Amino acid sequence: MRPAALATCFVVLALAAVHGQAPAAKTGATGVSKTPWGDPDLQGTWSNQTLTPLERPAQFKDKPVLTEAEAAAYEKQLVDAGNVDNRTPGTVQDVNLAYNQVWWDRGNRIVADRRTSLIVDPPDGRIPPLTPAAQKRREEDRKASDNEKFAASWLDFDVYSRCIIRSALPRLSTGYNNNYEIVQSPGYVAIVQEQMHETRIIPLGTQPHLTSTVRQWLGDSRGHWEGNTLVVETTNFTDEARGSTFQYATRNMKLVERFTRTSDRTIDYQFTVSDPDTWTRPWTVKMPWNRIDGLIYEYACHEGNLGLEHMLSAARAADSKK
Amino acid sequence: MKLTHIAAIAALALGTIASAARAHHSFSAEFDVNKPIKLQGTVKRVQWINPHTWIWIDVKKPDGTTEEWGIEAGTPNTLFRLGLTREALPVGTEIVVSGYEARDGAKRANGRDMTFTDGRKLLMGSSIGNDAQSK
Repeated sequence: MRPAALATCFVVLALAAVHGQAPAAKTGATGVSKTPWGDPDLQGTWSNQTLTPLERPAQFKDKPVLTEAEAAAYEKQLVDAGNVDNRTPGTVQDVNLAYNQVWWDRGNRIVADRRTSLIVDPPDGRIPPLTPAAQKRREEDRKASDNEKFAASWLDFDVYSRCIIRSALPRLSTGYNNNYEIVQSPGYVAIVQEQMHETRIIPLGTQPHLTSTVRQWLGDSRGHWEGNTLVVETTNFTDEARGSTFQYATRNMKLVERFTRTSDRTIDYQFTVSDPDTWTRPWTVKMPWNRIDGLIYEYACHEGNLGLEHMLSAARAADSKK
Repeated sequence: MKLTHIAAIAALALGTIASAARAHHSFSAEFDVNKPIKLQGTVKRVQWINPHTWIWIDVKKPDGTTEEWGIEAGTPNTLFRLGLTREALPVGTEIVVSGYEARDGAKRANGRDMTFTDGRKLLMGSSIGNDAQSK
């Protein structure tokens, strides 16, 4: 067995030993629980589910934060919009949300501080302008998405449809399965992502990233503590398949995530992405991870990925009519 | 407020949500938006598989024969959390399904709306019951 494989086995065994999570030691002087070996305790099951959009909608152009009454009205607007009874059959919106509210798990609340966007920098709450090269990548991706109806191969589908990964890091709140479990052991933090059941194993310390020729679906992460905040830097992404980079970025994007436990039931999660070949400046998102009272479940996407088979079957049926 | 205004607001809001949320795969690559269908049938079996649950129903045709239809539903994890367990949808239950037919002509459809025959919804969805999760 190669040393790298042995190391992986060790990490897995170490994590298995603490699965169910290591008991937290007493709360420290700062009010943050610590693990028995003294690290801030982030362990538990969490959800980043929220109705707050990534970018500030035009209707709130100059309003970064809503009042309580405005927030309640906005939440109602978003929930009602997802209600199938308010939709017009046969419209584009109807098709985009081909499963009614029942099948989704978006929640019904915006973030507790009532911001109108998850993006906190730039201050306008919008993704910075794309470079010309990134605009071209976005256009190509849209064309490829439209062409899935005529797919010749599974290779024509993105990483999500192919059950490789849900999406590139960092993870935003999506339609369902927005759940995560954090497990810690001395020297490592592991994050199990319910969709699609990947585990990020993050070594803590100063060891360098993998060589730049090694590229991984979830990149290569290294973590360290800054006070009570876990800071994770991730590089070495891949553009091997459609959808394997974040928001039309290149594989050279750099991701810095910050996890800070702010209460028994909340982690303040922030990330900054930078890639000069994609955006004219770095940008930052702030969103809560809220504790859930329950387990996360397996999401073995490959076990019954009939959708891929059916889409290819539909494309062949379309061919036969030509 | 005119209906068109309501529709415009709904479309705007949906666009906001949809940008971050899509089903596991493209709807329009698997199903045909021009073929809406309504089926009434008896649950024959339920496949609790990822990434989508499949509900198989026997649909009685006007000539008295039956044919089997497969209905694509949500992810098992979400359905389980919403209360759709083995006990909630036993074999033999009669349900009504609205959705769209498969593009390849097979007897499959997506299950956009599912109700019991008396009109009760199988599930009420995430618009109620989980207030605590996003705060």
